[in-house]
Order: sequence, then structure tokens, then C-alpha cells
Amino acid sequence: MPLACVTALFPGASLSRRLATLAAAAAITAGGCGGESSVPMVTISGSSVGREAELLRRQIARFEVDHAPLRVEIRPTPDAADDRHQLYVQWLNARAPIPDVLQLDIVWTAEFAAAGWILDLDRFGGSREDFFPSAIAAASWNGRTYARPWFVDVGMLYWRTDLMAAAPGTFADLDRIAARAVQDGAVPYGLVWQGARYEGLVTVFLEYLSAFGGAILDAHGRVAVDSDAAVRALTEMRTEIASKVVPADVLSWQEEQTRFAFQNGQAAFMRNWPYARTLLGDAHDSAVAGRVGVAPMPAGAGGAASGTLGGSTLAINAHSAHPDRAYALAQYLTDPRQMAERARVVGQFPPRARLYDDPAVEASLGIDPAVARRIVSGAVPRPVTPVYAELSGILQVHLHAVLSGQEEPAAGLRAAASGIRALLERSGLAGTT
Amino acid sequence: MMRHRSGSPSTGSSDEARQAALFAAPALVAIAAVVAFPLVWAVWESLHRHDLRMPWLGRSFVGAANYREAFADPRFWSALGHTFGFTVGTVVLELLIGLALALALNSVRRGAGALRTAALLPWAVPTVVAALVWRFMFESPGGVVNHLLVSSGLVTSPPIWFASPWLAWVPIVLADVWKTTPFMALLLLAGLQGIDPALYQAAALDGAGPVRQMMHITLPLLRPAILAAVIFRSLDAFRVFDVVYVMTRGGPGAATEPLSLYAFSALFRDLRFGYGSAVSVIMFLVSFVLALFWLRAARYQVELS
Repeated sequence: MPLACVTALFPGASLSRRLATLAAAAAITAGGCGGESSVPMVTISGSSVGREAELLRRQIARFEVDHAPLRVEIRPTPDAADDRHQLYVQWLNARAPIPDVLQLDIVWTAEFAAAGWILDLDRFGGSREDFFPSAIAAASWNGRTYARPWFVDVGMLYWRTDLMAAAPGTFADLDRIAARAVQDGAVPYGLVWQGARYEGLVTVFLEYLSAFGGAILDAHGRVAVDSDAAVRALTEMRTEIASKVVPADVLSWQEEQTRFAFQNGQAAFMRNWPYARTLLGDAHDSAVAGRVGVAPMPAGAGGAASGTLGGSTLAINAHSAHPDRAYALAQYLTDPRQMAERARVVGQFPPRARLYDDPAVEASLGIDPAVARRIVSGAVPRPVTPVYAELSGILQVHLHAVLSGQEEPAAGLRAAASGIRALLERSGLAGTT
Repeated sequence: MMRHRSGSPSTGSSDEARQAALFAAPALVAIAAVVAFPLVWAVWESLHRHDLRMPWLGRSFVGAANYREAFADPRFWSALGHTFGFTVGTVVLELLIGLALALALNSVRRGAGALRTAALLPWAVPTVVAALVWRFMFESPGGVVNHLLVSSGLVTSPPIWFASPWLAWVPIVLADVWKTTPFMALLLLAGLQGIDPALYQAAALDGAGPVRQMMHITLPLLRPAILAAVIFRSLDAFRVFDVVYVMTRGGPGAATEPLSLYAFSALFRDLRFGYGSAVSVIMFLVSFVLALFWLRAARYQVELS
């Protein structure tokens, strides 16, 4: 049965392509290769763990009632971003028609769009609605919209209300308060952020970079990561480590290690995503429950306070046999009601500006909605380019080398910039955004 | 012998040859399928630009461009340097400790079997598991190594192992040495047991002390075993991947990145099949040369004895 199913799945594919995708097909056909039986189907792939999965199943059940007899099948995918990305690439490169709807990390949208793997959604006449412009920008490529924003993540500053009266507005203030808190013996660490060599480091760097008025790519898509502003931003990060405001331990820390440190009362400040706020408020596990404030990341000299934009979008497989059904599902899951419920149940920030006026959502945000709106609307997207993953990989190596003292900030950023320029050159995309 | 055979009826001999070829054919086909074909494929792939993340570029023949790119990339050269450094460092340590371990095991009379099994245990632990345990031991804060260093008063502020381009090698090398020394010891032990005890008795009668016995009997006679063990281990160490992948992923920066990890990230993270294949082919050629060198050394060894 499996081979017949595979052949049926890829009718137009060459033999070598079929062979190359047996692995992917095995995963697809694991649930039986019914494909098009009598019941109309649509499939969706994405995060399928914990409370998020329960919520998704509940919303899908309601969708099925509204769209009977349409059935929705969830194809589980790995939760780790890199693993899910790799699986998607295998499927889409093999022109597999399922899953119809894909949950994408916002930084993949341009890559998948440029590859021709996901549909241009403007054909469905979808308007940009009330989505935050930054969320739409991250879901677009070459002026067309390729995905629907589902929820947003933004980097923000967690601060201890028992150690200071108000959150600092600038990095200079933050460093001063943090250094004093450490000197006083109130906490062993001043500020903690994600400093391991992975995507998280780039998101933190981007916040410092915007705070000092720099950018990775400028408005014309040219590499600007070796600018003076960028050198100042990275120097600030390195100085924080050298002066022990930020412990050098963070060079191997990801989100959870920083959360543990902050949650155990070891740090005055933490940079993290919104998910941490509900966990920090849980008095059972958190030593700092009730003593945590949330603020936008501070500003530096010559820039504005900003958090890096993250989150997920929903896109439609370009080889889907039922794009209309798929779009209906994506539209349903991203409508204001489902988003409000998502904010309430799993605490994910909605990408629609108007929802921040909704009293029910306000209550579920866990922070002042005015602050939340300010944080989300001021969020900076990472470069929207099909080669983002490789661009980030180059940057990660040099940022990490600078922070661990192997390269000087200016030299490290110059090396990163020339690597990124060569990458853009190779991709044939130089100068486009 | 050959002459005698060619003198026999020619039909029989060619029949025999044909039969031999027939018997060998399945094995040859299997070798071609699992060794030659992937190798040729990798070489062919390495001459193409094939970036799965840039499907709009297609898959075009680019000649040696991927090789030129590798040779122009400082990260490639430092990865090559790391690989050689790691190979030399770990194999030397493993040889010295393994030899000591083998000598100790060889002198044990009672419970030898149980001891040998116990000594082999680290080798039986999956590398990923061992590497994870070593990583936890060196992690900061909270790693047991730093706890011991501080509580014993050796240092006041514990080092952050994985944040330093030099210190990060310590847990990597330790984990590898811990894990593979037993294998080395076992090979050397086999060699030790092949040495005729009468030689030692004769040497003792002639008044040679333990040091002279070691230098003039044990080590010379152990040379084939040492050479075999070093060949195995150095070829193995040259393709080190899992220990580093689990511990540092090549960091900080790219300070502990070996060639295999560099190839892996080109292939499976950047999905650059052409370039990744080129790096893999280079790796293959380097280890091939390394193997030739050792084979030459082994032949020299045989000529000596």
C-alpha cells in the first residue's frame, strides 16, 4: 500500500523526486492514505502540544460544525522550529499536496513564498484588515501577502518591582540600576538575555541594534549590519558582559535558562518573550510572583525602544488540492473571536490592533494593554528575505564570537556583513526586499 | 605456483576464474552500491550549485566553484585546524592512558574478566548520552565541576567553560577520552597478552629492571598493536561529530567547530547540497590521505620487524 499511496500522492513527480521524498511521504501516509474519500478533508500542520493543541482542536471542532461536512485533520509536526522547518522543506520541495494549511514561523514566510511553495493570498481578496503593519510586512513578499498573521511574539523587558520604582527607559539607566542591585547583593545577576549561538541571540541583538538606531538591512535591502550604530549596539552588549551586568553564563542560555534565573530571584532584569509572564506570576513555582513588571526594551543613543517581532502565521500549500477550503480554515482561525480566545487561553498576543481595546483580551494580557499595544506596535521585524535563515546563521557565529571575546565588535560585524553580502549575491536577491 | 597453474589445462583455469568472479560478484555489487555509488554521487553533487533554500536558482553545474568557496572561507580552515587538533590531542591522551590501563589490567590475576568488562563500560555508553552528562557537569551555573572547584578552594570565581574558546575544549576532550580510552586499552591488552612471558623471565635473569623491560621488550613488541589502535582511533577522531554537536554545537562563535559539523550545517541547516557535498568530499580525501599515511607506516613497521 505505501508505495501506491506515494505514487498517487505525487502524480506528476519524477521517479527520483518520488524516491527523494519517501521519508516525507511515509510521515504523510502514516495516518492511512485515504486522501480523497467521500468526506471532504482539509489538513493543517503546526504546533500540537499542551494547551495550545487543545485550543486548536476546540476551534477546529467549531469550524467543522460551521462547514459541515468538511473535516479537518491535524498533521502533527515537531515543536522545535528547526525540525519543523526541515520537515516542511521536505514536503513542499516534493510538491506534496498536504498539509493544506501550514503554521509558519514569521521568518519563514519570505523563503517559502520565493520558493513558490505557498499561495499568494491576495487572490482570495483578503484585505489587510486591522493587522499591525509590522505583522503584515513579515507575512509579505514582493508586495504580496502570503500568510495570515496568527499570533505575535515580542521581546520585552521584565523587571523586579521590589528592586526599583520604575522600569528604565534607556540602557544607561538599566545598566546603572542593574549594577547597583548586584553590588547591594540583592541579586547575583543584573540582566539576563538569550546569548547562546542560535536564533534567539539574533532577536536580542536586533533589539539593541534598533535601540541604537541601526538595522541589519537598510530600507533598500542593503547590508547595514557593520554600521557605526551596529558597532555601538554590540559594544553595549559586550560591555554589559565585561562589567558583569550580564553574566557570561548567558552565552549558553536560551529562553528557559533565563526564565529560571529570573524566576528564582537571581536577576533584576530579564529580556524574554510574552510567554514568561504567566509562568512568572504563578506563586507555586515562581519566587518572584507579584514582583514582576513588564516594559518595552530600553532605548539607546540615537534609536528607539523596540522589541523583536516573532510569532506565527498561517499559509496555504501551493500544491493544495483545495485552496479554497484551506483558506476558509486559515481565515477562521485568524478571525478576531478565535484570536481573542487564543489570547485568553494560551496568552499569545493577537496581531490585530483592535483587539487591544477588547476588555476580555485586556484582562487576559496580564499587563497594561496600553503597554502591550505599545510593545507590539513598536516591534521590529527581522529582515524579510528568503535567505533569512542563512543570514541569521552567519550573524549568530560572529555575534557569539564577539561576545565571547574572540573578535572585536567592529571586526566581527564587518566579517558578518561581508558574509551576508556574499550570501545575497549568491542568491541573486541582492538589493531586493 | 603460478607457473604450475598456467601449465594445467586452460579451460579448467578459466572456468575457475569465472566461478570466482561469479562468487565475488554479489559482494562487489554490494560494495559498489553502498560505497562507490554514494561517493560518486557526492562528487557529482559537489560540482553543482544545489541550494534547497534557493530553489529559484535551479541546479546548475558550477565546476569547482564549491571547492573554491570552501578554500576561501576562513571558517573552513579553522574547522580543519580544530579537527586535526582534536585528533592529535585526544589520540595522544587516549594512547597514554590506554597503555597505562592495559598494563594494569594485564598484571591483574584475579577477577580479570570482571575488571575488563568494567573498564569497557564507558565505551558501551552511547556517545550522545555521555556527552550530555559531561555537558551537565560543566554547565554554569550549577555544574558539579565548578561546584567542586569552588568548594575545594581551588578557584574563587568558577570558569564559564562554554563561553571561552579554549576552555570549551576541556569538556569535549575529556568526554571523548573518557569514552574511547577503554577501546584503546582493550586493543593494547590483546597485544600485551601476545608477548611471550619467557622474554621477561630471561630479561629478569639478565638483571634488567622493570623500566628496561618496558623499554626493550614491552614497547617494541607492542608496536603493531599500538599502530593498529592509533590508526583506528585517529580515523575515528577525525570525523568527530556527536560529542561537539551535543556539547557546544561548535561554539562559542565557531571556536570548537570540527569539519564534520561544518559540513553538517552546510548540508542540513543551510540545505546547500552542492557546497556541503564539496566539504564532505574534501573530508573524505583528507581522511583517505591519513589512512594511506598510516598504511605506509604499518608497512614500514612490518619491514622493521
